Amino acid sequence: MTDQELVDKLKSLLGEKIVEISNPSLRRVFFTVAPGNLTASAAVLSKDLGIWYIATISGVDVGDGYELLYHFGPDTGSLTMRTKIPKENPHIESLCPSFPGAILYERELQDMFGIAVDHIPDPRPLIVPDDWPAGNFPLRKDWTFERPEEIIPGGKK
Amino acid sequence: MRFNIPIGPQHPALKEPISLRMTVEGEVIRDADLRLGYNHRGLEKLAEQKTWVQNIYLTERICGICSHSHTTCYVQGVEKLMEIVPPKRGLYIRTLVAELERIHSHLLWLGVAGHEAGFDSFFMYTWRDREVVMDLLEMISGNRVHYAINTLGGVRRDLDEGQIKKILDGLVVLKERSVYYARIGTTEPSFVARLAGVGYLSKEKAMALCAVGPTTRASGVARDVRKDDPYAAYEDTSFEVATADTCDVLGRTVVRIKELLSSYQISEFLVRNLPAGDIAVRAPKRAKPNEVLSRYEAPRGENTHYIKSNGSDKPERLKVRAPTLANYAATIEMLKNGFIADIPLIFAAIDPCVCCAERTVELVNGRTGEEKTVRFAELRALAAERHKQLSTKRNAVWPL
Repeated sequence: MTDQELVDKLKSLLGEKIVEISNPSLRRVFFTVAPGNLTASAAVLSKDLGIWYIATISGVDVGDGYELLYHFGPDTGSLTMRTKIPKENPHIESLCPSFPGAILYERELQDMFGIAVDHIPDPRPLIVPDDWPAGNFPLRKDWTFERPEEIIPGGKK
Repeated sequence: MRFNIPIGPQHPALKEPISLRMTVEGEVIRDADLRLGYNHRGLEKLAEQKTWVQNIYLTERICGICSHSHTTCYVQGVEKLMEIVPPKRGLYIRTLVAELERIHSHLLWLGVAGHEAGFDSFFMYTWRDREVVMDLLEMISGNRVHYAINTLGGVRRDLDEGQIKKILDGLVVLKERSVYYARIGTTEPSFVARLAGVGYLSKEKAMALCAVGPTTRASGVARDVRKDDPYAAYEDTSFEVATADTCDVLGRTVVRIKELLSSYQISEFLVRNLPAGDIAVRAPKRAKPNEVLSRYEAPRGENTHYIKSNGSDKPERLKVRAPTLANYAATIEMLKNGFIADIPLIFAAIDPCVCCAERTVELVNGRTGEEKTVRFAELRALAAERHKQLSTKRNAVWPL
């Protein structure tokens, strides 16, 4: 399937759910959907297009919200589904019913961006330690790291 | 009756810091759980504060075994953002180093598989031969581990006639040895009996859990980025995607040996057909606001980088998905209903690279199960305190 065929197929299957679709380079297709249409679109990708592979989920802090990019891997290259959610009370529906392999990336997203994933089968932290202070989400742009002052017992003054 | 046993983060059977929590019933594993984060280095955050060029050397340090895979994945993405095309000779050398890296990584894995299966002569043989390819890599790049051959717009070192001859000679030796390993690995009765049927992962499960690399290819899914989405010089090369349909550790061994043989073929082609010309073009300091998704077939599977630029000399976002992370969900599936004695073998069979998958020190109190992150200074204070209380040799009360 060429890129153009994939774009046409997506347009006919998803119709007006697609806000924007682009094909910036060979074997790379990006399309945008509203957050409410995310799970429905993912179900179409898995059922009608036969896509089974999700490479990862990239979260990006874009200033006025969070952009989430779901990178799928059809046989023809790479297909990215983009959605944007507001910064207040960020939450997104889980993709696990269609793509069970997405679980680790959704847990990573919760740890790093503090985006609540609704109906995730396993919501425990994946990367951050269990006593990680609440409300610290390292990949948000307003989070900066401060190295705690190291005290050497009985040592240098 | 069911028991929970923690394996790792420090355990003689697993050489890297990951915690596997097994629920066992007798000798049989009924459930498994993973805990990551023991080696998390905050690399994605750090990358946002470094320039495009500095990040090449940062991404190189994601992994100690497949260091070239991460830089290539990063560099070819940034080249697209900067709208530069590296010269053909540069791409050929980049691909050659990639294939030599695959050879050394797969030979390393064969040795580890032999060791975990209790076949230590196999381990010593493969690691001896691995030195041949390590020497070649050192000759080409000047380094054994972090080759630092990639730069934005090409590579940093050229090959001369003498080096080309040495590479071809080395490949002859390696090829001959690998044919021998292919025979041993697939016909030696005790070795095959140890590997066959262990760590079963069906094709359906491999696809549902999004496994990558030799793990998924051993379950009969012919998926290889080098073939599906050719990058660098792979469009010019011809090779076959190695697959197996046994869905077990034996299949993963067969796939890796087949890949070794195809890597020799690709390397030989690249060296013999090395185009003349420059090895690199000059890269600008800044990249226009854009985004790119870069993919690379690392020895362990598909490596994905998503890079977003904002017009400055630093990336807005660099997302790294290393292949080991993608294989964890499948590993849990493989461990279920297996035996405790098979844990190291199954876990080693995905060729795990924990430092890749994690980019803090955590202590677990063995009696209460309480977990706590400590700083190095606190750890030292604890050690000093414990040392004071220890009875010295002279006043020790001996139990016997």
